[in-house]
Amino acid sequence: MSTNTDNRPAPMRLLDPSVLSTMSNLELVAKAVVEGFVIGLHRSPKFGFSQEFVEYRQYADGDDPRYIDWNVYSRTDRTVIKRFKGETNSHLMLLLDTSASMGYGSGESSKLQYGKYLGASLAYLAARQHDAVGVMLFDDEVKEYRPPASKPGSLQGVIHTLDAAQASKGTDINQPMTRFREHIKKRGLVAVISDFYCDAEELLENIRPLALHGQDVIMFHLLDREEITPEIKQSTLYEDMETGQAIEVEPAFMQKAYRDKIQKHIASIEKAANGIRADHVLLDTSEPLDKALHNYLTFREKRG
Amino acid sequence: MALLGPLFLLGLLGVAIPLWLHRLETQVTEREPFATTMFLEPAKKRIHVKKKLKYLLLMALRILFFVLLVLAFARPVFYAPPQAIVTEESTHHVIVMDTSFSMQTEGYFDAAREAAENILSQMEDDDIASLYSASTNVASVVSATSNPEDIRQGVDALAPGNGKLDLGSMISSLNTMIEASQANFVLHVISDFQQTGQAVRFADMIPDVINGRPVSLEIVRVVNESPENWAIDSVVVNGLNNIEVGIRGFARSSSDRTVSLSVNGELQQEIETRLQGEGITFVTFENAVFAEGDNRLDIRLTPSDSLAGDDLRHTVFDNSPPAPVLLLTDDEDSLGVTYITAALETAPRGYEVILQSIEGLDPRILQRYPWIVIEDIGAINASLAGAINNYISGGGAVLAASGESVFGLSSIPVLGLDISSSALGRESRNPITMIDSSHPALSESAGWSSVNVRSIPVEITDEDRVLVAQANEQPVLLERTIGRGKIMLLATALDNSLSDLPVKPVFVTFMAEAARYLSNENLLIREQIGESFLQLSVAGGASGQVYDPDGESLLSLADTTQAQDISLDKTGYYQVFTSGGEVLVAVNPDRRESDLAIMDAQVLQNWQNVVAGTARSDEQSLNAESVTQEEALEEREIWRLFLFMLVIIVLAESILGNQHLRVKTGTL
Repeated sequence: MSTNTDNRPAPMRLLDPSVLSTMSNLELVAKAVVEGFVIGLHRSPKFGFSQEFVEYRQYADGDDPRYIDWNVYSRTDRTVIKRFKGETNSHLMLLLDTSASMGYGSGESSKLQYGKYLGASLAYLAARQHDAVGVMLFDDEVKEYRPPASKPGSLQGVIHTLDAAQASKGTDINQPMTRFREHIKKRGLVAVISDFYCDAEELLENIRPLALHGQDVIMFHLLDREEITPEIKQSTLYEDMETGQAIEVEPAFMQKAYRDKIQKHIASIEKAANGIRADHVLLDTSEPLDKALHNYLTFREKRG
Repeated sequence: MALLGPLFLLGLLGVAIPLWLHRLETQVTEREPFATTMFLEPAKKRIHVKKKLKYLLLMALRILFFVLLVLAFARPVFYAPPQAIVTEESTHHVIVMDTSFSMQTEGYFDAAREAAENILSQMEDDDIASLYSASTNVASVVSATSNPEDIRQGVDALAPGNGKLDLGSMISSLNTMIEASQANFVLHVISDFQQTGQAVRFADMIPDVINGRPVSLEIVRVVNESPENWAIDSVVVNGLNNIEVGIRGFARSSSDRTVSLSVNGELQQEIETRLQGEGITFVTFENAVFAEGDNRLDIRLTPSDSLAGDDLRHTVFDNSPPAPVLLLTDDEDSLGVTYITAALETAPRGYEVILQSIEGLDPRILQRYPWIVIEDIGAINASLAGAINNYISGGGAVLAASGESVFGLSSIPVLGLDISSSALGRESRNPITMIDSSHPALSESAGWSSVNVRSIPVEITDEDRVLVAQANEQPVLLERTIGRGKIMLLATALDNSLSDLPVKPVFVTFMAEAARYLSNENLLIREQIGESFLQLSVAGGASGQVYDPDGESLLSLADTTQAQDISLDKTGYYQVFTSGGEVLVAVNPDRRESDLAIMDAQVLQNWQNVVAGTARSDEQSLNAESVTQEEALEEREIWRLFLFMLVIIVLAESILGNQHLRVKTGTL
C-alpha cells in the first residue's frame, strides 16, 4: 500500500537546517528530525523502524529488563524478550569535532550547529532502536566523553553534552583518537562528525586502529557551501579561524584552484575512509539532514 | 619660501588623525573569517600591493589635505626672480618716458612714442625691456619682459601729466627701482630735456652701476629746437579788487594776445595786449567782482600757443570778511594794544580787532568770538578768570601776555601757575634758546633767535607744553589744553617794556600763525602745483572728502576717517571738505615747465659719455650680481594656489573614499 507520506511537506521542512536553527531545544530538534524522517520512510522493509515484532528470545544476562514481555511471563513463567525488526542491540558512539573551524558558517547554522543536529538525531534514532549511545567532543584533545549507555536518561545526557559543545581551538585528531581507543572496548558503530581539515594520511592512521578493533566507522564530513563552492567578487583577506593566519586571495583562485583543491581533499578523505572500510558521507550544511540519516541507516543495515 | 603666519603650522598635528584612522581601518575591516586557509594561496603580489596602495593613496590625500589647509593659513610666500629669462649677453632696455607737463607741447609726446617704438623694433630675441614714466615722481609702468607688445601697450597708456621732471631725481629713483637681471642695462631716456630739468649737481645724473651690470645711456631727444611759449606766471589780488596778472614770455619775438578773467566760471573782463618775447608782461584787471568766501579766478590767454596748458591759470581768492578778535586790555592806549592790533590786521587772513576794557567786560560776550587776546593776564580778577576758564573749557582759545600787573601776583590767573617771587625782578633780557618749531604757531621760527625777553618766572606743571624757552629753561611761551579749548601764555609783555618781541618782524608772523592756529583755521596752501600732495591732516581736521576738478570723489568711505595724502594729478580746483569747512585748492602746472628751452647738446653728450665710463669689468659685475640678484627677488604669495589644490584634494578624497566603501559591501 502506498501513501503520499513521502511528500508530506511539514516533516520534510523540519529537516531543513534553517528551520531547525529556530528551535532552541536540541532534543526537540532531534525528535522532530527523526520522527519526520521515520514517517517519510513509510515502513520500508529495508529498515527496522516500524516496531514490527519478529520473535521472542530467551532473556539473558545483560539484556535490558524493559524489553521483557511480561504477558508471556504471566502465562508461561518464562522470561522472554521481544525482538523487533531492525533491532540490533548494538551501540553507537558519536565523535563530534568542536575545533574552531567547525564554528564557520555562511548561513544561519555553523558546521558545529549542524553537527549537533546530526549527532542528536543519530542519538535519538539509535535510542529508538534500543541501541546504546555515547558521545565524545574533541578538538585537539578530548573535551567531553560519555560512554555508550542505553539506560533511561542516557539519551538526554548525550543530547545535553552535544548541546553544550562550543567551537574553540584547532584540530588534532591524533590525540583524541588515541584516548578514544583506550576507552572503547565493545564493538559497535562509531560516527565521526567533523570537517576533517587534517591530513588524509594522518586521519587514516588514526581511524585504521578503530577498524581493526572491529568498530564500524562512518565519517560525516561537514562542509559549508562556501567552503565547497566559494563565490567572491574581488580580492579578500581571509583569516584562518584556528590559526589566525590571514591570506589575501583573489576571485579567480577561489573560482578554480581552490575548488579543485577542496575536491581533491574530499576525495583523499573518502579514499582514506574506503581504505579502512569506513563510510564517508559528505554533507553540505545548507542541505536537510535526511541525507545523513538515510546514509546512517544504510550503513547500519549493512553492518547490522 | 617664507611663512607669514608660522603659528598655523601647529595645525600639522592634525596629520595624526588620518594616520590613526587608517591604522584602525586595516585592523578591523579588512579580514574575513574562514574555516581554514590550508587550501588557500596568497594572491599575486601586484594585487596585494594595488589594494594597499589604494588605501595608502587615500591616507596620503587626507594627510595632504591637512598639510595644504595648514599651509594655506600660514600664508607662504616665495621669492621668485623676474619673469624674463636672460643671459649675460642679453640687453635690458630700460625705457624711461618723460611725462612731465612740458611733454604736453604739441607733437612732443607723439615723437616720444615713435622713439619708444624704434627702440622696441631693434630689440634682439634674448633682450628684455621695461618701461618707466618720469615726471615729479618715477613710476614703473611695465616690468621687465621679453615681449615688446607689453611695452607697446604701456607706451600707449601713457600721457603727459602736470608735474616737473628733474633728471637728478629721476636717476636717483631709477637706481632703486630697476629690477635685477643678468643683462647689460641700456637706459633710454626719452624726453624734451628742458634746461630746467637739469640737476643742480651734474653728478646726480649719473646712474649707479645697476645690479653690478654695465649701464649705458641712450639719450632720445624728441625736439631739436624749442618752440615759443608764453605762460601766466602770477596772479595777485590787491585790496582794491584789482587783479594783477604777470605773463612770462619764453620767445624771441612779441605776440598779441587776449587775456581774459573769469571769476567763478563767469567771464568778467578781457584785455588785448602785446606780450613781450622775454620777461614778464603785467596786465591789470580793475574792479573785479568777487563773491564772499572762496572765489575761483581763471586767467586765460587766447589764442593758445603750442603748450596750451600754461595759458590758463587757476587761482583761489578768499574774499571772506576779516574775522573779529576780542582784545581784552586794562589800558586801551597802551603800546601792547597798538602792536597786537597792527600785527593782526596785517595778517594774510585779516582780522578785525575789537577792543574791550577788562573792567566793563560782560563775560557773556566771550562766546561770540572763536578766540580772544588778553594783553595783560595779571589784570584779570578772580571772577573773570572763572568765566574765561569756562570759555576755554567750552572750546574757546586764548592768547594771553603777562604785563606789569603780574608782578604783584603769586600765581597766573586762569592757569594758576605759581610765580617764583625769588627770581622775580632780577633777570635782564635774555635771548631765546629753544623753539618748538613742530608747533603750528611756530612753523616760521627763524626770527625768534634774535628776540630778547625778560620773562615772568612761572613754575610749569605737567599739563603745560613749553613752546619757547630761554637758556635757564625759563618758559617764554607755553600752551595748555583746558577742556575742549586751549590757552597760549606769553610769560612776557607785548609792549616793549619786558621784551623786544613786538618790534621784531617775527612778531607779525607769530601773531598770524597763532591766530590761524587758535581760531582753528585750516593751514592748507591754497595754490599748489601739479603732481604734488595735499595733506588732509593740515586741512583743519584729520579726515574729510576731496573732489577733484572733474567732481570725482577721491576717498572711499573708509578712507575718509583717516588722514590722507592726496596726489594732485589734475589741474583745476580741488574741493576739500573737512570738519573745519569747505576749502578750494587751485592746482596749476609747475611754472618751470613752461620754459621749453632745451639742454645744450654738448651737455647731453657729456652726460652720455660719463655714464658709459662707469661700466665695470665683467668679473666685477658677476661678483656683485650674486648679491644684488637675491635682493631683487619678487615676493609672491601662493596661499591661493594651496586653496585651489585643497578643493581638488577634497574631491579626490571623496571619490576614492566612496570607492573603498563599495569594496567593503561587495566582499563575499
